[in-house]
Amino acid sequence: MSNLEIGLASFPALLLLIFIRVPIGLAMFLVGLVGLYLVTGSFNLPLARLKSETFSTFSSYTLSIVPMFLLMGHFATLGGMSTALFKAAESFLGHRKGGIAMAAIGACAGFGSICGSSLATAATMGRVALPELRKYGYSGGFATATLAAGGTLGILIPPSVVLVIYAILTEQNIAKLFLAAFIPGILAALGYVIAISIYVRLYPDAAGIKPAVPYGERFKALFNVWPVLLVFALVVGGIYQGWFTPTEGAAVGAAGTGFIAWMNRGLTRATLVQSFHVTAKSSAMIFFIILGAGFYNGFLALTQVPQEISNFVVSQGFSPWVVLSLILVFYLVFGCLMDSLSMILLTIPIFFPVVVGLDFGMSQEHIAIWFGILVLIVVEVGLITPPVGMNLFVINAMDRKTPLVETYKVVMYFVASDIVRVIILVAFPAITLFWLRF
Amino acid sequence: MHNLATRAARFMSICGGLVLALLIVLICISVIGRSLNGLLHGWVGTALPTVSAFLLQAGVGPINGDFELVEAGVAFSIFAFLPLCQISGGHASVDIFTSKLPKRVNRFLQMLIDTVFAIVLIVVAYQLYRGMLSKQSYGDTTFLLQFPIWWAYAASLVGAAMAAVISIYVAWVRVVEYFIRQDVISDETGMGS
Repeated sequence: MSNLEIGLASFPALLLLIFIRVPIGLAMFLVGLVGLYLVTGSFNLPLARLKSETFSTFSSYTLSIVPMFLLMGHFATLGGMSTALFKAAESFLGHRKGGIAMAAIGACAGFGSICGSSLATAATMGRVALPELRKYGYSGGFATATLAAGGTLGILIPPSVVLVIYAILTEQNIAKLFLAAFIPGILAALGYVIAISIYVRLYPDAAGIKPAVPYGERFKALFNVWPVLLVFALVVGGIYQGWFTPTEGAAVGAAGTGFIAWMNRGLTRATLVQSFHVTAKSSAMIFFIILGAGFYNGFLALTQVPQEISNFVVSQGFSPWVVLSLILVFYLVFGCLMDSLSMILLTIPIFFPVVVGLDFGMSQEHIAIWFGILVLIVVEVGLITPPVGMNLFVINAMDRKTPLVETYKVVMYFVASDIVRVIILVAFPAITLFWLRF
Repeated sequence: MHNLATRAARFMSICGGLVLALLIVLICISVIGRSLNGLLHGWVGTALPTVSAFLLQAGVGPINGDFELVEAGVAFSIFAFLPLCQISGGHASVDIFTSKLPKRVNRFLQMLIDTVFAIVLIVVAYQLYRGMLSKQSYGDTTFLLQFPIWWAYAASLVGAAMAAVISIYVAWVRVVEYFIRQDVISDETGMGS
């Protein structure tokens, strides 16, 4: 076999391993290892790489953002910020039809601005909002689907772990990507609110109404949200203003939320240990996938497959928009099966050269950022598409009385709103690139 | 046995977490130091020259080489996090296709997967050890702080070795589970949180 053939044969091999439940990081690692063996004829190269590559991957200054953002999200929960956000949003919206669900979306968006992970946002807001939604007569499917969809805002609204990984893979500026994600993130929240209002119009019995809260109390509840605003402004503003590097921003954010959690008596020895456990589990998972992807992509680069695919696509003279649409559809389909981070690590090295090689009438940097946001959105849709939407599982597990099918049914309204948003963002790149013009 | 393994893994994750927390504090001090330093050289320096000169003399500024400490520390943390992920089955995988298969086939797959995982982690730990030896023999040091790079490797090796040991244990459990046709540890319960 030629190197190119070995490279191409690695795709089905990898998929097979992943589909027989081999952990994705391990699967990429193994295929990369065997691939390097086939291409170079011995295990010397992969073994030599291992002598320093695990260490250099795990000791990356830029990647150290990941555990810090994860810790920051847990501290934010411990500090009661999820509760404060939900109470504030609920006091303004709760008396409307479907208002508590809208409040949950708003609170998810707020929490997403200090948390970089979807699952954490879904789980946290689920704990806060689900009992309230059920208390006021929201149907189980409606309540769980709303929170699962709201959870994706955790990663769409900066800071975002997935964007950090994308930035590193494609050597883009993290601050610019965060900024570009902002308007699409707000649009996502608005889209979900519209989906809710359509749903309650179609099924008026699926939601109840809460008595209105006097304005004095509303503003009091709003005031309690100040730590969230402060941390968000400090972290994202600071990174963008160049006061500090993204890693420093993550550290400041983790320290800030940790301090607030401690002030609110949420941070005790027991909860701190628990935060470490959860952070440890997620970080180790993420870093092992990054390690495996590094190995696999190193092998792929050696076989020239990414360049060949890119050359092929460019030379065929396909319309750039068709290629882009196909890639996005691919992500939507695979997102139903695989988690977002693995997908990005697996596919960006192949798709990125293709997309930036196409002529969209924009600079390469703008294409890179725009494409990054689009990919971020479509892989996140995967979190709420049946059958394997992680957010659906997490939230549904909190409400034992609701069958998963009920959640599936309602979540399609949110998926539809996601797809409409992707189409809008594809058609009008200026929405994503708006802030970058300054 | 399982308790011991879980406790060891949790202990490592707490060590990793504490180091991570220390790095966060270190970075914050460095950021504050750098901003104060900027102020003291800027308008505060013009307004209060003597105080500023004194403070600058006392070393108010960013922490020298904080970058290098973060890199060494976070490597330790991530390696220390691995054992817990291993024992609690925390690695991301796709189980939609295998969930339809009979239990026995699934146990067999799990046995194979965890055995291969154990071999990989042993190789990873061993190659890290060899990497450490070569860094030691070349006497590589970091640029600013000049501490030997092999120190960071050695710290990481603790976590890597522990991950290898835990993964051998997990593989062993899967072998037992396959042959006695009974779950010894169920997947997500290794994790108490």
